[in-house]
Amino acid sequence: MKREISHSNVAFAAAAIAIGITSAALGWLREPRELRLDPPVASGLDGLRLMPNGISGTPPESYFALGKPYETDAYNLSQGKRLYAWFGCPACHGDGRGGAGPSFLDGWWLYGPEIVSIVASIRDGRPHGMPPFRDRMTIEQIWQLAGYVQTIGAYTPKVAAPGRDDDKQTRPAENRGPAKILFDQGPVGVHPDQGPSP
Amino acid sequence: MTRSKDGELRDTALSDRELKRALAVTWSAPPGLWGALSTVDHKVIGRRYVATAFVFLALGGVLSMLMRLQLAQPEARFIGPDRYNQIFTMHGSNMMFLFAVPVMQAMAIYFVPLMVGTRNIAFPRLNAFSYWIYLAGGLLLWIAFVVDTGPDVGWFAYVPLSGPQYGAGKRADVWAQMITFTEVSALAIAVEIVVTVFKQRAPGMSLDRLPLFVWSMVVTSFLVIMAMPAIMIASTSLILDRLVGTHFFNPAEGGDALLWQHLFWFFGHPEVYIIFLPAVGMVSTIVATFTGRPVFGYLATVMALIATGILAFGLWVHHMFVAGLPRLGESFFTASSMAIAVPAGLQIFCWLATIWAGRPVFKTPFLFVIGFMVIFVIGGLTGVMVASVPFDTQVHDTYFVVAHFHYVLVGGAVFPLLGAIYYWFPKLTGRTMSEPFGRWVFGLIFVGFNLTFFPMHILGLQGMPRRIYTYQPEMPWSGLNMFISLSAIILAAGFLLFFIDAIRSARSGAVATANPWGASTLEWATASPPPPYNFARLPVVDSREPLWTEPAELRVAAGLGVDRRELLITSVAEAVPEARESSVGNSIWPLLAALATTVALVWSIFSPWAVVWGSIPVAVSLIGWFWPKGVPEDES
Repeated sequence: MKREISHSNVAFAAAAIAIGITSAALGWLREPRELRLDPPVASGLDGLRLMPNGISGTPPESYFALGKPYETDAYNLSQGKRLYAWFGCPACHGDGRGGAGPSFLDGWWLYGPEIVSIVASIRDGRPHGMPPFRDRMTIEQIWQLAGYVQTIGAYTPKVAAPGRDDDKQTRPAENRGPAKILFDQGPVGVHPDQGPSP
Repeated sequence: MTRSKDGELRDTALSDRELKRALAVTWSAPPGLWGALSTVDHKVIGRRYVATAFVFLALGGVLSMLMRLQLAQPEARFIGPDRYNQIFTMHGSNMMFLFAVPVMQAMAIYFVPLMVGTRNIAFPRLNAFSYWIYLAGGLLLWIAFVVDTGPDVGWFAYVPLSGPQYGAGKRADVWAQMITFTEVSALAIAVEIVVTVFKQRAPGMSLDRLPLFVWSMVVTSFLVIMAMPAIMIASTSLILDRLVGTHFFNPAEGGDALLWQHLFWFFGHPEVYIIFLPAVGMVSTIVATFTGRPVFGYLATVMALIATGILAFGLWVHHMFVAGLPRLGESFFTASSMAIAVPAGLQIFCWLATIWAGRPVFKTPFLFVIGFMVIFVIGGLTGVMVASVPFDTQVHDTYFVVAHFHYVLVGGAVFPLLGAIYYWFPKLTGRTMSEPFGRWVFGLIFVGFNLTFFPMHILGLQGMPRRIYTYQPEMPWSGLNMFISLSAIILAAGFLLFFIDAIRSARSGAVATANPWGASTLEWATASPPPPYNFARLPVVDSREPLWTEPAELRVAAGLGVDRRELLITSVAEAVPEARESSVGNSIWPLLAALATTVALVWSIFSPWAVVWGSIPVAVSLIGWFWPKGVPEDES
């Protein structure tokens, strides 16, 4: 009887220690949720280098130092989703299906799917009507919004993608993606191979 | 040693020593790790449950001290808002779902089979499964907290804050799935308790001879069975809303955000009584033992328990007075909320009459009962206050409410529980806790508790809201907050001393006799701690206080088999023996089933396909669990 108790105690203690170490390691590896970046880190995010044609390029060093949070982090993606509504994106891009502006849902990227291209599109604007937002949003917000926009057209759903809105449902939620194969989005805006090129 | 003609070995053929040896062989778990993982002994599992729940109590206590550190002064910077949200949510969820409910049910797992005089709980493997599921749910919540994914939406996780639009990440999903784990385990225990009490009582223990603690656990188990489905529906709907985009709580698509509050509180208010009623049973038990007489008004006390249980389902809306309700609804639920003070008051007067008429012995368990009465009555008074809509509108979501429910929950449940631990510790471990230590523990906790939580009433009336991570220096709250934080140290010291005493006593306390307090109920009729088979011969009962009316020798039932695990099935009302029934042996399958269930449930936080693929291992483990063995345990 005594022996049994000591055996099981040892086993439980070992399990508890193993779990404790694992969780501590995970906790150490995982970045805490950043509600507000340090100003120097934030301003570093502005330093992305694009290819001469404005498509693709290199993200700034501080983006890697932060752990590339804007494409994969649930908090930043959900912030991006709010910014998408707050800064009037639906006026041209609708619920992601496009309108006056191109669709995101169809996964067709005029300037490539890399996040730097999307950040550049939002920050600096693009021809044919995309206005620059650099004076309207902070660079951190632009990165958050870019991550979200990338999520809309992702070919495989991100684990951290936001859920549906408390609103009329017009298309499957971002975490149900890829939306393209889940429903027929109807006619989308004109692709450059079909009409004007950028 | 002679066998009966069908080859069975019956206890009638054995001397006491032979019988005990044979029963020990039949009922023991194998030694070592395998035995520890596969045991279905209700005492081993009950002890494990209690110990785990107290670990969660300690962890939750650490969180509360962190909050007090942060709130001790205005504009403190120990904890940021995001972490603070997680901490107060973890504190509430942990204390309600991982400590208070499980610890009460754990005490029932250990003591109800002993108090009704049987050899194991009904559905022993379900019992083992329940523990592993509970442990997995607790680990899920705490590991998530360590990796910064702890829920941050409050312990009642109101939508839309916890819904898909505002609850970013997996934090709210972790909360909702933790609910699933703890509710599954709670429901399993509730079913076991009901069956154990209704079908496995000692012969002669008719319902009107049931110990009051057992009565309270029966009523509690029915509350669990009726209340928990509401929260399982709610949390499952929440996960569906978040993961696959259903619209249960989306007003734009015909859902309803208020539906969440109704579903949650239809469970959440009975939850308070799920915690409180077992404590009431503990109080009745301790009062009877330490006054040396039966509790005054047995019938009235039982009726009060049942009335509380029924009324518990009729007042959930008082949590929603500021949500905007029709006037008639407000009036009705004000009245029903105040009405519950009647059965509670009735019980208090029954205990007072018992103490009045008896000769109270002021040992530590009884001190905790006295503390319970004082604190619970204060909490009940503020409860009647917040039951009125105008007053509630004023203090809703302030520290007044925080003070109120800590008085009710800590006063109404933790004080009796600590008393019960001191009282039953000999039966749990075979050793006695220290009386001088116990007095210090009681003193520190009683004083510390009141100094900590009483000023919160005042803070609430001064307008300090709950759940704020800091406040400005201009607010008139800083002095009281510092006072509360310092008082919390006294309270924490009391709990620390309790844990030290418990661990020290379990190792090296004074060895206890079978019935150290001279109590009246059946659990004291066997050794401390009881052998794996509980009673060598099952007792027969012909009064409400068997050990007081027949202190010399209990009558026993004879004729049970000892070759297989066998216990006695009796009728529901009169406890007339009906059949000899087998009780299942040890099995590793409950652990495997719990592991498979855990994988499926945790996976389903991330992908709906987990429900499809994850159900395969669950099905396999259940098939293994119920596979016919072709051994005598299956024949009955």
